[in-house]
Amino acid sequence: MLDRVANADFCLRIRDLNAWYGESHILQGMSFDVAEGEVVTLLGRNGAGKTTTVRAIMGIVGRRTGSVSINGTETITSMPEVVARTGIGYCPEDRGIFASLTVEENMLLPPVVRPGGMAVEEIYRYFPNLKERRKSAGNLLSGGEQQMLAIGRILRTGAKILLLDEPTEGLAPVIVQQIAAVLRMLKERGFTILLVEQNFHFASTVADRHYLVEHGRVVGSYRNDEINQHQDELKERLGV
Amino acid sequence: MDFLDISSQVLFGQLLVGLINGAFYAMLSLGLAIIFGLLVVVNMTHGAQYMMGAFCAWLLLRYAGIGYWGALVIAPIVVGLFGIVLERLFFRHIYKLDHLYGLLLTFGLTLIIEGLFRNEFGTAGQPYDIPAALQGGTNLGFMFLPNYRIWVIFASVVVCFGTWLLIERTKLGAYLRAATENATLVRAFGVNVPRMIMLTYGFGVALAGLAGVMAAPIYQVSPMMGNNIMIVVFAVVVIGGMGSIMGSILTGFGLGLVEGLTKVFYPEASTTVLFVIMIIVLMVRPSGLFGRMSTDRAALNASIASVSGAVNWSKTTKMALSTVAIGAVIIAPAVFYPVFLMKAMCFALFACSLNLLVGYAGLLSFGHAAYFGTGAYIAAHAVKEWGVTPEIGILLGVLATALLGTVFGWLAIRRQGIYFAMVTLALAQLIYFIALQAPFTHGEDGIQSVPRGHLFGLIDLNDTMTLYFVVLAIFLGCLFLIWRTVNSPFGNILKAIRESEPRVVSLGYNVPRHKLLAFILSASLAGLAGSLKAIVFQLAALPDLHWSMSGEVVLMLLLGGVGTLFGPIVGAVVIVAMQSYLAEFGSWVMIIQGGIFVLCIMTFRRGIVGELIVRLRSQDKPAAAAAQQVLHTA
Repeated sequence: MLDRVANADFCLRIRDLNAWYGESHILQGMSFDVAEGEVVTLLGRNGAGKTTTVRAIMGIVGRRTGSVSINGTETITSMPEVVARTGIGYCPEDRGIFASLTVEENMLLPPVVRPGGMAVEEIYRYFPNLKERRKSAGNLLSGGEQQMLAIGRILRTGAKILLLDEPTEGLAPVIVQQIAAVLRMLKERGFTILLVEQNFHFASTVADRHYLVEHGRVVGSYRNDEINQHQDELKERLGV
Repeated sequence: MDFLDISSQVLFGQLLVGLINGAFYAMLSLGLAIIFGLLVVVNMTHGAQYMMGAFCAWLLLRYAGIGYWGALVIAPIVVGLFGIVLERLFFRHIYKLDHLYGLLLTFGLTLIIEGLFRNEFGTAGQPYDIPAALQGGTNLGFMFLPNYRIWVIFASVVVCFGTWLLIERTKLGAYLRAATENATLVRAFGVNVPRMIMLTYGFGVALAGLAGVMAAPIYQVSPMMGNNIMIVVFAVVVIGGMGSIMGSILTGFGLGLVEGLTKVFYPEASTTVLFVIMIIVLMVRPSGLFGRMSTDRAALNASIASVSGAVNWSKTTKMALSTVAIGAVIIAPAVFYPVFLMKAMCFALFACSLNLLVGYAGLLSFGHAAYFGTGAYIAAHAVKEWGVTPEIGILLGVLATALLGTVFGWLAIRRQGIYFAMVTLALAQLIYFIALQAPFTHGEDGIQSVPRGHLFGLIDLNDTMTLYFVVLAIFLGCLFLIWRTVNSPFGNILKAIRESEPRVVSLGYNVPRHKLLAFILSASLAGLAGSLKAIVFQLAALPDLHWSMSGEVVLMLLLGGVGTLFGPIVGAVVIVAMQSYLAEFGSWVMIIQGGIFVLCIMTFRRGIVGELIVRLRSQDKPAAAAAQQVLHTA
């Protein structure tokens, strides 16, 4: 059932993760670690398998094999609702704001999975726009507001590991800066964040380490302070 | 106090009846909407579960001495639990399939449940007394107001409004609404959505059971009580759209009132007025009064998987098989009863006609009996009353159904997926009700003693063997026509539409026109089958138009193999044979047919011929087959 894996320093330990959508073999052996309190990014082109990796960790892909260890607990065979309750919060690429719910209902929807989550009022303090519009329907928010809501609602659950899939996609630069500030705040509070990003400039402002993903595999690993040395190489591999 | 020559007693009396009916329409369509929203399954079993609620009340009274008030609590729980069992056993395994399968599965389950009850309790209704506390009524002067009726209206408004409150204003309802939109994400937040789905189905079904208990004192408790109301509820759902809870409630009550009013001013139309309204709504506002096309999953394109392609046999194999087949049909009358063979051919043609629509264009028509029956009645009438020769009779039958197919097809095509199926069902029911009342159909008797006549004035069809070969010739001719159509450019476009309609639109094809043509062709062939049947059996009767006939032909198609050339023939032969053998067992035919439906949906979706094709194809090329094996086990 749920095995205890040695070396619980690592919040998230992924080994040889393979995943399929139907017959398409998307992830071909992803292996990486995220230590507690770190902010780690998965960088890569479109179609590299970054989003699929995050979905595979949550258990919402078609088929997956390998090892996904969250806080020392093996979850490769677990259902998504069990994975969530190990204390991991998920913010999908399309934000997943429910149109038939109000902003406040969206905010209160994800159940509390761990004690110590942020109170709603506290979250509203970081995202004042959301408080103003809390009675509006979810889909009437702007892209930036939806992203804030998507991040905000998982802060209430007490999850300390956050999976954020392209939080800055399609957002204006000033909003991107706001999100960067939020991520830095979360990091200071001790959250562990796995960030999927195509925009490596943004990634370099918040992350500690980066993994380069290509064709469903990790092909490179860089610390944030080395990333400038590899800029050209990265630009080439991330460029269209 | 009179109004337009109609006494106020009658007016308000009928309005009350209408409001009562509306109360049941509202409760039932509410349950359907809730279940569909989360499960994306059209719960055709709803009518049977409503019936089970009524029977539960009756059984509780009869065998346990528990009266109405106890039944109001116990029956919904029992029916709800039964629903939960169904969800765990069956529905859970079909969510990953196209949602048309849900419709067919619940249809099969309905046949089983109603067949079992019919077997046990017969078709006659059992009375159930109004509870003592609610008997009697008050005379308001302009009308007499029975207490029980007031209670029903009051209770149903409370139930409907309470459910609405639960869904729109509570946290539990928020989970339900969120899961309806994006179940996967709600699971990823840690909510046990599968369990929620199970409980939601149970709740929706319990609502039906509750409605059944409330209905017991008003309508008689009979195994078929669910059917009569369900098709009307489908029309209600098409009119209102399944997207909105409040919409279902308002549409239900509103349409009940409209029905009541029609009964006052124009009684003959009261059974059909709702279907007429449905037609008007379809023409004017296709997404339904409260529907929003963008969020309504029932409006999405849906299709049943067809086994595409054929087996690559060598030319010699094909020649050999053809010779064997031709030999077989020629000597067949010596081995089997020719009348049985002709019946099989008529139904095989009927199934082939439906296959054209379902298997090649991907449109599930659930009301094809309308064309079969219309063909039968028109041909029968023409041959018997106007004295024309059989081929003219058949021609007239085909022309009439082609016309009907044009009108109904044009209407039905305005909706897609589940709605398309429901619309075809409702339109067929409209024809059934018209036939029930029209003078020339002679109601329950049907048109009997239809003369077989002389084909072209020359060939005497009263000789069974001659008739057999004539029917065979027509059957083979139609088969050839279908084969040519399917393998023509037109047929290829239909197959493309089935696979991906948007892509075909983007290529510049007029998709609605193609769909309509396919519909007309399919309807005409079904009409031909019906006309032929009327002449062979010398009878055209109401069962030819009944929804059970529509369901039977879908079963033949499913069993034989959707989208294959010979599948419908095999399916028809099996079902017709089974009916002949089991005719003496009455309701068991229904139960077994339902069982076959369920079995096919759960484990045997490709049908007999479909499975054969897949297996023969994998023997064709060992390397390709091995590759396929690898892909499937990976």
